[in-house]
Amino acid sequence: MQKVGIVGYYQVKLYSDANYGRYEMIFEASRGALDKAGLKKKDISTVISCTNDYYDGRTISNCFTVEVGGGYMADESKVEMDGAHAVLYGLMRVLSGNHNLAAIWGGSMASCYPYHTVRLYETDPTWERSLAYVNDVTSAGFQMRAYMEKYGVTAEEIAKVAVKNKKNAAKNPLALKEAQLPNITVKDVLDSGIYADPVTELMVAPPCDCVAALLLAPEKQALKITDKPVWITGVGYNQDPYYLGDRDLSGCKSMNLAGKMAYNAAGINDPSSEIDVAELFEANAHEELIFAEELGFAKKGKGIEINSAINGDLPINPSGGALGGNPPCATGLIRIIEAVKQLTGEAGDYQVKGAKRAVASGQVGMCAQNNIIYVLEAN
Amino acid sequence: MGRQVAIASAGFSEHASKRSDVSMPELVSEAIEDCLKNAPGVEIGDIDAFVNGNMPAFEGSNIPELWMTDWMGARNKPLLRVTTGGTTGGTVAISGYYTVAAGLPGIDTVLAVAFEQQSQGDTSVGLASVAYGEISILNTLGIPYEQISRLLSAGAAIGVAAYQATTYMNKTKIKEEDLARVVVQNRRNAAKTWWAHLKMPNLTIEEVLDTPYVQYPLRYGMVCPASDGACAMLFTTEEKAKDICDIPVYVNGVASVANETAVLGYDGSGSCQIDPSMQLGAIRSAELTYSQAGISFPRKEIDYAEVYSPFPNQELMWVEKLGLFEEATAPEMYEAGVTAVNGELPVNCSGGVNATNAIGASAMERPAEAALQIMGKASNQVPKTVHTSIGSGWGGSLNLITLMAMSDQPRRKF
Amino acid sequence: MIFIIILIIIKNEIKMSEEKVIVANKGLVRADFAFWVGQYLDKFYDGLENKKIMGNKCPKCGDVFVPPRKICGKCNVVIPLDENWVDLPETGTLMNFTITPYRINDRTSRKAKDWTIGMIQIDGSNTSVVYRLLNMEPEDIKIGMKVKIEWNEKTKGDPSDIKGFLKV
Repeated sequence: MQKVGIVGYYQVKLYSDANYGRYEMIFEASRGALDKAGLKKKDISTVISCTNDYYDGRTISNCFTVEVGGGYMADESKVEMDGAHAVLYGLMRVLSGNHNLAAIWGGSMASCYPYHTVRLYETDPTWERSLAYVNDVTSAGFQMRAYMEKYGVTAEEIAKVAVKNKKNAAKNPLALKEAQLPNITVKDVLDSGIYADPVTELMVAPPCDCVAALLLAPEKQALKITDKPVWITGVGYNQDPYYLGDRDLSGCKSMNLAGKMAYNAAGINDPSSEIDVAELFEANAHEELIFAEELGFAKKGKGIEINSAINGDLPINPSGGALGGNPPCATGLIRIIEAVKQLTGEAGDYQVKGAKRAVASGQVGMCAQNNIIYVLEAN
Repeated sequence: MGRQVAIASAGFSEHASKRSDVSMPELVSEAIEDCLKNAPGVEIGDIDAFVNGNMPAFEGSNIPELWMTDWMGARNKPLLRVTTGGTTGGTVAISGYYTVAAGLPGIDTVLAVAFEQQSQGDTSVGLASVAYGEISILNTLGIPYEQISRLLSAGAAIGVAAYQATTYMNKTKIKEEDLARVVVQNRRNAAKTWWAHLKMPNLTIEEVLDTPYVQYPLRYGMVCPASDGACAMLFTTEEKAKDICDIPVYVNGVASVANETAVLGYDGSGSCQIDPSMQLGAIRSAELTYSQAGISFPRKEIDYAEVYSPFPNQELMWVEKLGLFEEATAPEMYEAGVTAVNGELPVNCSGGVNATNAIGASAMERPAEAALQIMGKASNQVPKTVHTSIGSGWGGSLNLITLMAMSDQPRRKF
Repeated sequence: MIFIIILIIIKNEIKMSEEKVIVANKGLVRADFAFWVGQYLDKFYDGLENKKIMGNKCPKCGDVFVPPRKICGKCNVVIPLDENWVDLPETGTLMNFTITPYRINDRTSRKAKDWTIGMIQIDGSNTSVVYRLLNMEPEDIKIGMKVKIEWNEKTKGDPSDIKGFLKV
């Protein structure tokens, strides 16, 4: 795979109740990314947006965002998954040689819709949806229990992940205020109320409002635009079967296969030593452990043994991850942006020292049914 | 960067107003079966990646690809969902092209699937929220909900199309008969296409003009039906396509360009203030596509066109905007039979969207049929040899135009 | 700042034949989303109406699916509509469970009294169905325990015919 450069990015601060109009937010993100890269709107040759008709409560939710997203008279399209998947489509367009600058933006305002109800529309309407027993809440519970049962991991150990991410989020000025908890303890997490037993409320990524944007350019152009481009050297994506009973919920086969595809492209043989930092979209605390294991950072069931603190051996989610705020359609895109910040040394208080290679992931569906992972490298 | 991409096969499900015998995934699997039947030697396990899309609000299921995984054969395969409303099919076909063109390791053969089962869900709700997409702004201006629905008449698409029709008719001085002629040609063509919906082999202009108006100048008999159906296309590399089929169809140019928000003109742009039949997006899409494909004289170089036209006036408008005919000459060409099956430049021999409209799939059926005409495998095959063809898509009130140019010869150099 | 919120409240209808339609709706804008279930599930729901569980079997790998499917995703083969049907018992094994106060069916996803939801593998099948576990205290529930179907007294031929699962 040829290298593609990330030449600009912008993320609006996460809010649980953003005082923004939808278009203002989209404009701020896409304009911000252009300004950061020192580019003009006319330089954009293609725009990929990521929104969801159900999240936005309107049919063809990208319909009226063309102008604010920089897509007027540009080659434009929309991905309806995670923001990280939109980056994939932008990447493909750049790799095809047809386009020299791809702008990608994604996001939604979770404060404007009942998040869980909307997530329910993802379930099989001919069988499970009418009863609503399968939904994003219960599936999280099933997944965590499957993981705990199979490997003898305790709820306390999983709560530690939430503690780490919430403390990290406190160092990230763009994280959701409600998720910035510098003094949180394992007991606080375990006592935060049942979400879907054994998952507790503080183990869940809180839905919030945000739009984020990213600019991609082929190698030659990227070097002209910035002297600090971050290169995408590998990408992998994969989809698991839908029905929970068809999957081994204690693991995540799609993440494993996506990881293999990305590592193969980037030429990585030993991920735990070759990767310096990981930004993973964990919808719940236990998913960070499952993903870390599937990505080869630790043996199965031993994810908790990784020293994943900011100054640890393999820092995971130094920005706070999705537990620091989960704006639907933007979360995966923000993971990529956070990984880019680590590689360019712009991460401030949560900077991982000497990070040269990072991975960032995004996901869609119940129990992370479709996963995507990027390998990013500093110039 | 990039590599040559070829279409190796295309397939359809049967289309009807109510496919109540199948669930949504089963409908999709029909199209995939048909697509692979036309591609001997390719099995579902040989597909490296999937691209999908529909118009989710019409059925009432969000990201239906998630629960359709097994029906498509996508279990533990890479899958990407793209959707842009009415142009979804074209968008899916274009992303199928890009997925191959990108040359990601391990991804050579890609199945692109677009579908819509409009008889389920609640389509009026789906449509209403397009038409009233800006309801919050209109409301703050003091326009009540009922008023908005009256202004836009029968909903999103026809509301916009009627404005396009009147301005186009004003420019070209054509009559309703000219619109009806397009309808007659399409529905007679549809009668020869196995998967089409409205098959009317003996339809006459008088019969069309005998139906009541939906919104002037569009009559009930001129408007596309609402169909259930799915379409699948197989994209692969040049080398693999040569093994799969006799005549690989090379994708030489793609584009999808939107001009601007065009509802009511309240925001200083759009159908009321700018000529709705101007179609800057279509012109720009054609420029981009033809320059990629190396087409300098579309009228001479393009042998066949599938143009997205739920309403007859749009077919006249698009063939001009996409460079197939000079401005304001399309109606004469239709009258002279230039666009008929045995004409000089046949258009919509599948019957087009005017005869079959499974919204999410429609814009993919255009490039799919255009590719089959090059392969010589279309149901209503034109007698002349087709070397170069185009398939277009049109979306909603925004005028997003997707366009794909195909040929039996690769044009681009890598 | 003015927000206009349009709530489209979805009540699933399972459409099978004219008389089998569930109607219930609340919300500001009415949207009766209905879905064709296809011939495989139609047969299955006819079975449920008669308090009978049917699955179908992949001719290649032999996996049995409840509810039945047209395609076995593992083998990518079509299971013919008229063949490979299997009658299954009302008993099963609890594979996984969770306890949650969330009611997602409700438009606000409100919280109420905790209820227990389990993944149950019907005996003789290879996948799980997700239903409520009835009359069970959290400390009684063990993964691997045997459970059996509690039918609703009146069946309609839709997923709600199974009220939940009881301890054997």
